[in-house]
Order: sequence, then C-alpha cells, then structure tokens
Amino acid sequence: MSTPEITVLYFAAASTATGLTVERVPLPPDGLPLPALTDVLVSRHPQTALAKVLAGSQWSVDAEMVDEPEGVVLKGGEEVAVICPVSGG
Amino acid sequence: MSVGGEWPAASVEARLDTEDGICVLTYHKLDTQAIIASVTDDKAGATAVFIGTTRDSFKGRTVTRLDYQAYSKVAIKTMADIIRQARQQTSRSEHHVEGYVSSIIKCAVHHRLGTVPVGESSIVIAVSSPHRKESFVACEYILEEVKRKAQIWKREFYEGEREGDAEWKENVTTSKSA
Repeated sequence: MSTPEITVLYFAAASTATGLTVERVPLPPDGLPLPALTDVLVSRHPQTALAKVLAGSQWSVDAEMVDEPEGVVLKGGEEVAVICPVSGG
Repeated sequence: MSVGGEWPAASVEARLDTEDGICVLTYHKLDTQAIIASVTDDKAGATAVFIGTTRDSFKGRTVTRLDYQAYSKVAIKTMADIIRQARQQTSRSEHHVEGYVSSIIKCAVHHRLGTVPVGESSIVIAVSSPHRKESFVACEYILEEVKRKAQIWKREFYEGEREGDAEWKENVTTSKSA
C-alpha cells in the first residue's frame, strides 16, 4: 500500500542549489525511468540552479555510476545520487 | 572527528585495503610520513610521493580555505580501481616475470575531507617500485585519474567574499583548478 520512494543524495553544486544533502522522493506506483527523474527533481526545486546542475551531472544508483540512464527504471528503495563534475585533488 | 557539521551524511571517512595498496578518505590532517611508510618494502628502490596542498591564491583572488566532500562509498571504490589500473599498466615492463607481476609494489592514496586551510595537504599519494620510472609514472597517473574520476568535490573560499558565493570547482572544465 505504501508509495515507492527513493533516496536522493545531493553533493556540491546540487546541494548548494537545493539546500539539501538528502531527500526522500516518492515514485509513481509503476516506477520511474531514470531520465524522468530530472523533471521530478526540478519540479520539487523550482526557481533554483538545480536544472542547470542536473544538465551537467551524471547519476549513480545504489553506489554504481550509470553509463546509460535510458536503460534504468527506478522501482523504489534505491539510493540515487547526483554526481556533479568532480573536483578532487 | 572534527567536522564542521555541514558535511553531507554520505561524506564519511572510509578506508579500503586491497592487494594494490591503500585508499583512505579522512577528515583528519594527512600524515605524509606515515603514508610513505605504508608503501615501504625491501624490494623497493624508489618511492614517488605527490602532495597536493591548498594554495593561497586563484587567478588573483586570495583563497582562505578549501572545503572537500565526497560520496565516500563510491569514491573509495573509484580510488581502488585507479590504483589497480596503475599497477596493471606497469605489469609489462622490460623486467620479464612470469604471470601477473606489477613493477609497482604498493600504492597509497589518501584524500582529506572537510576544511583544508591554506598550506595543508588535501591529497597525498605514495608509490613504491623497484626502479624510479614506474613509481613516477604511476604516481602521476593516480593523481590525474583521481582528479578526473573520484566522486570528490571542492569548494574554494575567497577573502572578502560572501561564503555563499564560494565556488564549487570542476576539474574537467577548469583545467587549472588544483
């Protein structure tokens, strides 16, 4: 009966844009293709820089970098992270 | 653990020991001597070390500090992949040895998280090998790959500017960032 949910992690510029480092996001009952998550997150954070940040970022799902988001459907329970361009070193 | 309190919950300390060496993410000051000691070996004739340090300026602006954060459980795996690659790349050299034997003996890569003041180090890499060339090459390879791939981010703070204006750096688009 419970709505499927994912946990979204924000780092760096994504965190600055949303003011959050973690957020629970409900999914449609049938799940959500990963590319569609962009619009879902932007609609939760309108008038922020998040749309621009997401356009330049990659996804990780359950601690694995995603090379082809088109092939991934979120079912609920996943930990999804916005991976902004990195700047270690 | 002395953290500023504003770091993401997923940006935690981490350590991964593999047959290729040691990868560490820590909020503590990096102990260069201990890191060098961790790759010592009687078969090593060479140890190459890279120390990356917070610099006091960027394009004419005075830098006061850098803040680092990581998606630690992913970044530590990326770092381990990088040191494995570094050792595999040097596995075929002029020294022919049967089977898979790398010319690199051991690698250590330690990256600091949290606030790194000017003059303190954010990354220390140490690589040991029988001869100097392999360790120099592997050390540079590890640094460049960590900068390019590891899920670590830094924010640069400037003197006289609001903290909210501090810039998140991007290694790929900003070629002179570190």
